[in-house]
Amino acid sequence: MRPAGRAETDSLYFDYPHFPFVRPPELDGRAVRHRVAIVGAGPVGVTAALELARHGIESVVLDDKATVNDGSRAICISRHSLEILQQLGIDERFTAKGLGWTQGRTYFRDREIYRFEMPHSDQERFYPMVNLQQQYIEQFLIDKAEESDLVELRWQSAVTGVSQDDRGVTLEVTTPEGDYRLEADYLLAADGARSVVRKAFDLSLHGEAYEGRYVIADVRMKSDFPTERRAFFHSSALPDSTLLVHKQPDDIWRIDYQLGPDEDPEQAVEEANIRERVATIIAMLGEEGGWELEWWSLYKAHTLALDDYRHGRVLFIGDSAHLVPIFGVRGLNNGLADAVNAGWKLARVLQGQAPDRLLDSYTPERRGATLDVFANAGRSTRFMTPPTRGYRLMRDAALALAFHNDYASGFADPRQVTPYTYAESPLTLADRDAFSAGPIPGAPLINRRLGEDDFLLDHLGRGFTLLLFSEDGRLPDDLDKRLVDLRARDPEFTVVTLSRQVAEEGPGPILPDPDGDHFAAYGATNGTAYLVRPDRHVVARWQRLDPAALDTALMTALGGE
Amino acid sequence: MTTPTLPFADLEQVYEQLATTLDGLPEEQERLFLAQLALALAHRVSDVDQVMAAIEEARRGVEDTGSR
Repeated sequence: MRPAGRAETDSLYFDYPHFPFVRPPELDGRAVRHRVAIVGAGPVGVTAALELARHGIESVVLDDKATVNDGSRAICISRHSLEILQQLGIDERFTAKGLGWTQGRTYFRDREIYRFEMPHSDQERFYPMVNLQQQYIEQFLIDKAEESDLVELRWQSAVTGVSQDDRGVTLEVTTPEGDYRLEADYLLAADGARSVVRKAFDLSLHGEAYEGRYVIADVRMKSDFPTERRAFFHSSALPDSTLLVHKQPDDIWRIDYQLGPDEDPEQAVEEANIRERVATIIAMLGEEGGWELEWWSLYKAHTLALDDYRHGRVLFIGDSAHLVPIFGVRGLNNGLADAVNAGWKLARVLQGQAPDRLLDSYTPERRGATLDVFANAGRSTRFMTPPTRGYRLMRDAALALAFHNDYASGFADPRQVTPYTYAESPLTLADRDAFSAGPIPGAPLINRRLGEDDFLLDHLGRGFTLLLFSEDGRLPDDLDKRLVDLRARDPEFTVVTLSRQVAEEGPGPILPDPDGDHFAAYGATNGTAYLVRPDRHVVARWQRLDPAALDTALMTALGGE
Repeated sequence: MTTPTLPFADLEQVYEQLATTLDGLPEEQERLFLAQLALALAHRVSDVDQVMAAIEEARRGVEDTGSR
C-alpha cells in the first residue's frame, strides 16, 4: 500500500517499467508446442527460465501483471543465492546496487545486549547477505531474460486453468486480446502463495499458520547507520512487541513490526496509524532528520508446504510450494534454490540425458529444505513473537540474561538461512573414503580465493564439474581417456584441476595451489576428486578416483538405474 | 577453574521444555514452580559458589533490564 494520492507503482525511488502485451501465435490459431511453460514472472519463475536457458532449453513465462512487484518485500539475498546469480551471469548488477552486510545487533528494553557476525572471510567473493528491494531483483532478472533468445516473457497473460495428461500440460490463458490454449511438455508453477496452478489441481498446503501479524513499512530517510540487521525487543517505541530494522539502497529503510493480539489489522494498516507508529519508532532509533513514507504491507507467519512438490508434469517452485516465516530471510532464497534445482533437472530430462524419474528427486531435496526451514524458522518465530505465556517468559528471561552472559546470547541469534545439504538425497553418494575437511556429499562447494578478483566458483562449468586435486596437474592415463569419452557424450561436463606445481594444458582449467591451501580446505591429497552438480552441490568425493566410480556417480546423480 | 557447562543445543531443549511446561500450569503457580525448579537444580550442583553466582546473574538481569 502507498500513501493517499499515490498509485501502486508511484514510488519515491523506483521507476516501474511497463511491459506491453505481445500477441502470441496461439491467438492467431497457430499451434506452438512449448517445451517448458512457467507460470509467474517473479524472481523464482524468471530464475528458473534463466537456468533452463543456461542449459539451452527454451521456456515461455506467463504473468498477469504488466510490471514488477508493487513493493520491496523480499530484500535479503544470501551468499548462496548470489552464487546462483553468478552462474546465471548477473551477479554484478546485484552487488553493484545492493548493500552487503555481515552483522546485526539485538536490543532489549533499548539496551544493546548482543551482536552477531555472519560467517565471512576473504575466501568469499560475496557478502553473506546483500539487501536489495524485490523490484530491482525482478528487474535485473527480467532484463537478462529479455536478452535471451531462449526465454519468451508473456505479460498481461493470466492463467485461468491447467490440465495435464501423459503427453503434456495445457494452460488456459486470458489476455487483453482474447483467450487461448498453451501446450507444453512440462510446467513450472512459480505463481506464488495464491497459486492458480495449485488450486487447479486441487492441491493444498499443509502445516500451521502462526497467529502473529506483522507490518512491513518502507521509509526514505538519510541516516549514517551502517547496513546491519537490528532487532528490538520491548523497545520504548513498541513496549509489547518486536521490531526489525534493515537498510536498503536509495536511502530506504525497512521497518518491520508485530501487531499486538488485540490490534485490528485493518485499522493498523490505515495510513494515519502507520505514520504514527513509524514516527515513534524513528524517534526511538535516534534519527532526527525527516522521513517520507514509501510503501507498506501486512503479512502473517506461516509454515505451510505441499506434500509433494511434483505433480506429474508440474513442479511447484517457490511460494506456490511452501510458505515460510519471514524471520531468517528464507522465502526468496529458498525459492531461488528451488528454481535452479528444478531447472537443471528438467533440462537434463528434455535433453535426453536423464530419465524422467530424475524429477522425482526434486521433492525430497527441496521439500527437505523446507522442513529444515520450518525447524529453524519455527524457533526464530517463537523467539521473535512468542505464541504463549510460557514462551514469552522464557524469551524475556533469555534476553535479560544475555545482557551480561554470552551463554544466553545464542537464543537471540537470528538463525539466518544457510544452504540445505542434500546428504539424504537419492542423487548423493555417501563418503567411503575418509576426509578431514571439505564439503560433505550433498553440501554446496565452498568458495576459495585464487587471486585478485579470481575465485574457485568462477571456474565451474554449466553442467557437472569434476574438481580434481593433483601434484603436477597430470591425470592418470585411464582417467584421462574416460574424461574424453565423457565430454564427447556430455558437452557441458567440465574438469577443473587444482595443481600444486605449475602445469601445462589439462582437460580444463588448471588452477595453481602452490601453498596447498585449497588442498587443505578440501581435505585433498594427490588424486582427490569431487564430483559437483550444476547447482554446485557435491554428488560424491574420493581420495583417489577410480574412473568406473565416476560413471556410477554420474548415473546416480541423474536419477540412475 | 572452568566447570563443564551444558551444550547450547541442550540449553535450547531446556528452553522449549520450560516454555511448554509453563504453558501447562495455571499462571498463579508460575512463581512457585520456578522457585522449586531453582532449588531442584541447585541440589544437583555440588559447588555452592556456582549456585550463588547463578542467583547473582539472574538478579543482575532483572535489575539491569528493569523487567516487569
